[in-house]
This record gives sequence, structure tokens and C-alpha cells, in this order.
Amino acid sequence: MRDVIIIGGGIIGSSIAWQLARRHQDVLVIEKKDTASGSAGATDGVVGYHTKKPGVQLDLAVQSIEMFRTLNEELGSDIEYGLEAGGMQPVEDEYQWNLLSQMAEEQRKSGVDIRMISAEEACAIEPNLNHDIYGALYSPTGGKVNPLAMTLAFARAAKKLGAEYAYNTEVTEILIEDGRAVGVRTFDRKNGAAEHRARFIVNAAGAWAGRVAALAGLDMPVRPRKGQLAVTEPIGPFLTATVQCARYNVIKFRPETIKDQTVLKLGQSLSIEQQETGGLIIGGTREFAEFEEENTFEAIEAMMKRALRFFPALKDVNIIRYFSGFRPYTPDGLSLLGEVRTLPGFIMAAGHEGDGIALSPITGKLIAELIVDGKPSYDISDFSPNRFL
Amino acid sequence: MQMSDELIICRCQEVTEQEIIDAISDGATTVDGVKRRTRACMGLCQGKTCGRLVQRLVAQQTGQKPEDVYLQKSRMPARPVKMGVFAGGDEDA
Repeated sequence: MRDVIIIGGGIIGSSIAWQLARRHQDVLVIEKKDTASGSAGATDGVVGYHTKKPGVQLDLAVQSIEMFRTLNEELGSDIEYGLEAGGMQPVEDEYQWNLLSQMAEEQRKSGVDIRMISAEEACAIEPNLNHDIYGALYSPTGGKVNPLAMTLAFARAAKKLGAEYAYNTEVTEILIEDGRAVGVRTFDRKNGAAEHRARFIVNAAGAWAGRVAALAGLDMPVRPRKGQLAVTEPIGPFLTATVQCARYNVIKFRPETIKDQTVLKLGQSLSIEQQETGGLIIGGTREFAEFEEENTFEAIEAMMKRALRFFPALKDVNIIRYFSGFRPYTPDGLSLLGEVRTLPGFIMAAGHEGDGIALSPITGKLIAELIVDGKPSYDISDFSPNRFL
Repeated sequence: MQMSDELIICRCQEVTEQEIIDAISDGATTVDGVKRRTRACMGLCQGKTCGRLVQRLVAQQTGQKPEDVYLQKSRMPARPVKMGVFAGGDEDA
């Protein structure tokens, strides 16, 4: 019998696997496809403070982003972390300015530097930004990362310390004995059906975590929320900060204030950042489409219009690929972290929606502590999955 | 005979045969798996040149038939297209 089985070999599962392996736990990661084949391989790498929901989720992000500073060294590979890239949200009118000012005030309670700046100041920081804006929200700290490189680095570091990965392997059943989760039944094309047992089962299946929970007879409201993205050809230095239009936070935190139903349905906003390779990653949509992964012209046109509204100079830059990913949405915007009261041995570590990359380091650390020490070093009771029982 | 760490398979991203073999040892069983680990097929041509070569390498290394190895998912646009074209001319959004 192993110590821990982790379902899901993505950024969350691999971060947990690495932290557990560091603490000499015998870990098996079961992954339906491949590391980073889900959400972490289909997203941008924004790890800023300003896009986090004020309150406990931002507090958790502050803890997590602190851990990024030493990750390159600890993981032994370059995750392309731009520590001081900063984050900016250009604002289009007084209404957005007031909303974001209120949110920034809430966010500052977590001890982060987030402020409102004038259009002139914003354009001085990002000269390619359209001068025709009302102002901007600015967070000088916070950065960006290569989420693919980071996920693979977690997995490699975990394997190096002895964690085992079973790829192309699907969990078909959660084994329950005397009311406790004791293992899983799996299936893969090469070996067929198999059974694995462990003291703890961790559900780190991201947008698929609701389905995995259902295998254990649990109704955990994690739903896929689709984000469509584009990547451009590599260009010279164009952007330092990660930029989201003000509407991004309005849609994320105050959707009830949006009147236009199309904007709401597509979650039509802009998020843009430049990767180390020179390519820009452009995204910002969020929609409920189950697991339908194709790109739609409706979203593409909306996304490109938003991008050119704020960065007109991009008009002649080529898009080389559109893609999409599924974020693990939860109804209250908070992650699910902790053991399920009604099923001892079964731990949820999912539901970070768009914050999964930023929150992956702290999630790994706290879940490992919960398993090894019986209690995490930071109170995660606000994230308990028991709130949905 | 060229050494595999000198032989470039993906020209856009300058990925060598050896890097691809290492990615397969790391667990990649599809072209997408190699792509995520090495950036092969992520460049301007989106794998139009190297996709089949990568597929063949995966097949060789894992003892499968090339046609049984999944190619990378194809996505819009088929060729690079300017952002202005997708935005459809009028720029009020």
C-alpha cells in the first residue's frame, strides 16, 4: 500500500506530488493523458495579485507567489518567471474606475501594492498602450511564468525524488471500505484494469475534478469554464506587464453589473502578456461550454477587437494559433482544499479556476502538510470542500 | 552520420533529435506530448514541417506504428493571419 495516490498529473497534482516526495512519501500520480495536457498547457502565465478575488483567495495567492522566488532553484529547471513584470488593467470610463478603485481597496487589505494611476502614467509604463483610456489599475509586483515549463518542472522534480507517474491511465472507480477511501481502480490500454491502494487519495483533476468526485459518490460543484486564447508570431519587446482590461476583473468579481448579455456569455475581456520567446498570448474569454474545445469565430473576433482597442499597433501582427483550455470553476470563486468530512481519506485539491498556476505552489505545500503532519501550516478552512456537502 | 544532438528536427524552434528522444523518455507518447516538453511544432509553421518527423520518432522509440501515434491537434488559422483581419475592420469593441 502506498502513502498517497494523486488523481491528475497537471500543475496542481504535480506540485502536490513534489512536496510529498520531498517529505519521503510513496506517491503514485494517475494521469488520464499526460502532464500539462489539460489546463496548464492551455493558458497564459499571469501570476499577478490584481486578478485575484479580494479576501482569502488573494491572501492565499500572496503566500503562493512568495514561493515563486525560489522555485527555479528548488525545481532545478527554468520556469521563466518574470518576478517584477507587474500587472495593469486599463480602464475605459468613470464607472469602471470606481468599481476597480473599490476592488483595489479591498485587495490592499491583503498587503499588496495595487493602485489606480492616470492614463499618462500607464502609457509611460507601457508605451504601446492606446493613450485613449480613462486610467488604469496597476500592480507593480507580481509576474508571469511559463505554465508549461512550470508544470513539467514540478513533475520532473517529483519523479526525481521517487514519485511514480502512470500516464494514459484513467481512474474508473474510487475504492471505499468502511466509509473510507482506500484506493482506486484504473484502466489503461497497455495493462488493462488494475487496482491501487493508498492511505490518502487526492483529487487534483482540475476542471475534471467534479467527475472524479462523482466516482466517489460526491457532488462537488467544479465545472469546466472554457477560455479561448491566441498566440502571435514572435515579435520584439512589446509588453513588460501582463495587461487585462478593466472588464476582466468586473466580469470575474461583479458579473451582475454587466448589462450586455453577449459580453457576459463570452466573458468578453482582454488578457495579454508577452512570453520570453517573443510571442504574445492573448485571451480573456470565459464561457460555460462543457468540454467543447473548439475555437469559435464569435470569441475570436471579440478577443481580437479587445486586443486592438488597447494595442492598435498589433493590427499587422500574425496569429499563428488559437487554442482553448478549461478552468475549474466553483460557484463561490474559491478553491476546494481539504479532506471531505463524509469520506475520510479523500482530499480535494481543485477548483482554482483561473488562479491555478499562481496557486499551485502553495496548494502543493499545504496539501502535503495536511497529509504528513495532519494539519497545514496555514489555515485553509475557508476552502474546505465540506461547504458543498 | 550526424549526431542526434546536432540534428535539428523542428527548424522553427530549433529542437534537436536528442531533445525529442529525451522528451519521449520523460513520458511523451504523442506528438503533443513532445510538443509540450520541447516546443517542437510550436513555431511559425505549427508543425507542418516537423510534425510527421516527430510522429515517426515517437513511433520508433515507443515501438508503435507511426499511424497509431497521435499528431498534434490542428487549430485555426491554417496559416499565420493578421490580427486586424480577425477583428473585422471596425475597431469598436
